[in-house]
Amino acid sequence: MLKKIMSLTLIFISLFLVGCSSNEYERRDDASNTLYVGSVGASFPTSFMPWLSRDGIAPTIASMVYNTLFSYDDQTGEFVESIGKEWYYVSPEGEPILTTEGKIDYDELEEVYSGSEESYLVVKIIIHDDIFWHDGEKLTVEDIYYTFDIGTNNALSNHAGSLAWTADLQHSYSNGVMTKQGIFTYDHGANERGYEITEEEKDTVMYLHVNKVLGAITSLFSTILILPEHIWKPIVTVDNQLNSKNPSEETLYQYQNPVGSGGYKLDPENSNAQVITLVRNDDYHLKDGLDYLYKVEKIKFMLFQEQNVAIYALLKGHIDILDSTVSSNYLSLFEDREDIYVSNADGIFTQTLVINLNPATSEKNDLRDLLGISDFRRAIALAINQEELVSFVLNGAGKTVSAGLLSESLTDFYNPDADILRFDLEERITEANLLLDNIVPEKDSEGYRLLDGNRIKYTILGTPGEQDVISRLQVQLQRIGIEVEYKAKGSSPERTYIFNSKFDMTLQGVIFSLENADIMYRAHFVTLSQSSNYGRLTDSLLSSKINEMRLSLNLNYKYELLQEIQELIALNYYKIPLYTSNIISVARTDRYEGYVVVEGSTIFNTDTLQNLRRVEG
Amino acid sequence: MQKSFVIKRILYAIFIFFVVLTLNFFIPRLGVDDPAERYYPPQGNMSDIEYEIIKQVTREQYGFDVSTFKQYTNYVEGLLRFDLGTSFRTGNPKVSTLIAERLPWTLVLSVSNLVISLCIGLIFGTVAAWKRGRWQDSLLLNLSTISVALPAFFIALILSFYFGFELELFPAYTNPNMVSQFDWSWEAIKVVFYNAALPIISMSIGGIIGYSQRTRNSVIAVTNEEFVLTARAKGLSQNKVLFKHTLRNAMLPIVTAVGMSLSGLIGGAVIIEQIFNWNGMGTLFLEANNTNDYPLMMGIMLFMSTIAILANLIVELTYSLLDPRITVGEKR
Repeated sequence: MLKKIMSLTLIFISLFLVGCSSNEYERRDDASNTLYVGSVGASFPTSFMPWLSRDGIAPTIASMVYNTLFSYDDQTGEFVESIGKEWYYVSPEGEPILTTEGKIDYDELEEVYSGSEESYLVVKIIIHDDIFWHDGEKLTVEDIYYTFDIGTNNALSNHAGSLAWTADLQHSYSNGVMTKQGIFTYDHGANERGYEITEEEKDTVMYLHVNKVLGAITSLFSTILILPEHIWKPIVTVDNQLNSKNPSEETLYQYQNPVGSGGYKLDPENSNAQVITLVRNDDYHLKDGLDYLYKVEKIKFMLFQEQNVAIYALLKGHIDILDSTVSSNYLSLFEDREDIYVSNADGIFTQTLVINLNPATSEKNDLRDLLGISDFRRAIALAINQEELVSFVLNGAGKTVSAGLLSESLTDFYNPDADILRFDLEERITEANLLLDNIVPEKDSEGYRLLDGNRIKYTILGTPGEQDVISRLQVQLQRIGIEVEYKAKGSSPERTYIFNSKFDMTLQGVIFSLENADIMYRAHFVTLSQSSNYGRLTDSLLSSKINEMRLSLNLNYKYELLQEIQELIALNYYKIPLYTSNIISVARTDRYEGYVVVEGSTIFNTDTLQNLRRVEG
Repeated sequence: MQKSFVIKRILYAIFIFFVVLTLNFFIPRLGVDDPAERYYPPQGNMSDIEYEIIKQVTREQYGFDVSTFKQYTNYVEGLLRFDLGTSFRTGNPKVSTLIAERLPWTLVLSVSNLVISLCIGLIFGTVAAWKRGRWQDSLLLNLSTISVALPAFFIALILSFYFGFELELFPAYTNPNMVSQFDWSWEAIKVVFYNAALPIISMSIGGIIGYSQRTRNSVIAVTNEEFVLTARAKGLSQNKVLFKHTLRNAMLPIVTAVGMSLSGLIGGAVIIEQIFNWNGMGTLFLEANNTNDYPLMMGIMLFMSTIAILANLIVELTYSLLDPRITVGEKR
């Protein structure tokens, strides 16, 4: 029997040993222009339909294989050309609304449309005439018509996201029947509608009817990835929707072999759930002078399910770059490593302390009533020491944020007058204590303030990873006699605590930018029901300014309002800024050079791909 | 074995299956409000009517547009057709297809782990029992203490970093092309076991020590039985006493333990699979969890529970078959 057991054991052990050969870490001997990118996640998708690609690396791949009409530059507030070459508003009669320099004339736009009976703005789009799909077919405005049209028709697309993205497009369907047309091309009634398109322009010019707000074009231009009509139209039917639960074989084939128009093509033969290979589209219409826009010929994304393993893989030369953020705790690993490039980019995600200042009636109590007092909240805001949080929680890899919650890097729109919490800490603490002495003067033997003889104590909802920052807040607020403690928010905090007002304070990350201003300000400060306005702020002045900003057709005035809104947000002491953490990411320098640090992004970004050069030898 | 005993055990297993099935359906729904809102949070650019349409489309898409009870009956009906539902992931693949793709890879790890743990555990345990009180026995006891303090994932990380990254004896993580290039050739099988080496070793260390201890205790208990003393008194050789009389009789508790461990075979070792990028059931469950893919989560849980119920049933029936004195749960 012993012999049998030992034989079996030896067979298994020998199986491992016969398998032994030299390790094949492909990158080490790869002399080609192939970038090895490590990506931390659970798995890679094997089907790619851009609208459905939400999780993990899927949106990154979709955005490289497909294109939007334009991309948005948050620093300038301008749309940058992609499939689209040019766009501008036109009058209901089709006359361009442009200044003599060719820029959009917002004063005229306001003038033309404020008095207009039409409920929409007309947008003219001109696309590049040298764009080809990856299968060689020419991309025309009919592809854009098809994409926007099917996006609004849930009988064919059955996709909620596309309905949301096209909500501002005045083009609609009901049960598969068009009820309103808001997209016009040469083949789809543009000339009949009075928007002149010549035979020569038929592939490149189109018109849209969008809601009468400047933000209406944003998601249409920079969110919706354009689909090839010649691929999808023949196979998408009411019985085989774009997002069918039981896709036909042909649909599945198209998901797995996507035909896009982006700067890279998927190589399905060399892609699977563990590795995704993209090959440069050498026919890409956007160029860097005479050179290719993207300098890397091939990109291999390699999946790592565990971040420590991914970091070691980078250190050992199995990959060139890691497409994920790295905690500042790891920075010492990369010190004195000449072959490692550390990107410490400014972040755009601001962590805030949200105060439940207007709980639902059933959740009101005396302590929460205090949170409704503006001076009480100002005292809390004054006591928070952002510098200390950046130093201790983020190990210095972050920055402080204005009470107006807009990044200083948006120089044209940032309002320094909203930065009302940044002065000497000791003065702030003194002022905070003075404010609180007027509201809750009594203190216990440990210096904590009392309300009706009971210590004032609040809980802050957070994740286990946020305990660090909450423990710092505990120390900081102790200086003004207010006790706070951590409370686990669990996996479904909105349902459990937030939407039913069952919390005192919570942490919430926010990103306000020019691109999302129309949507986010309303969601965070106006909408009361089940929105990001966790503490149910109701400030009529702020609400009216936000609505005015959304509806304004004059971009310059819109920006003025954005500056005013920042001040109003600051004065509410409702979402108190804690910090913005940097985005730390790492790459190797032995095969590539020319990494570009971009705000709010890891080192694996579009600018890097346009700038990377293979190191010779 | 009594027929009524078998029928009762089978009926009991079916009852447990339905309890599990029901819990499996309702528990994930406790944490979800309106799944439509989870996928598409309210956006400021839409009217309430537009948003309601969007939510309705999402509900229809994921089958949440009918009452919870109807969803439950749909789910049970599907199961009767062996349909575990469709995953939310792009292309909406069948849950059963995803499980079938991942199961073999988990079995590579778990079956290898079981065989290695059992074989080496039997050898170590027997030696420790036979050399009771000597260094071999002390070593096993000390290793047992250490193994309790070192969880498998920690061992996995150490093995990955030292034998994988530093010494490069084995792959630190699974070759990303292993699954897609597998073709049942000898070369491909070698690649699989080469890549599986560190995960299996990580999983086996605890198993070896566990089976060693079990074997040791069982062998020691049998060694004191009269028939062993008689065998010795008859002048049989040490080896004959050990292998023919002692070990054979000491196997029953070990066989039971193996039977019970069968239920854990397909669950995979989530953390071990994660560390080594092993594309098995454990990582499939993680993916489902990370992406709120409820049908997939429910499918995996139900599949694992069913295997556990079946394994327990088989063990109970086999046990009573091997030892007719035992009729578990039966009143005499």
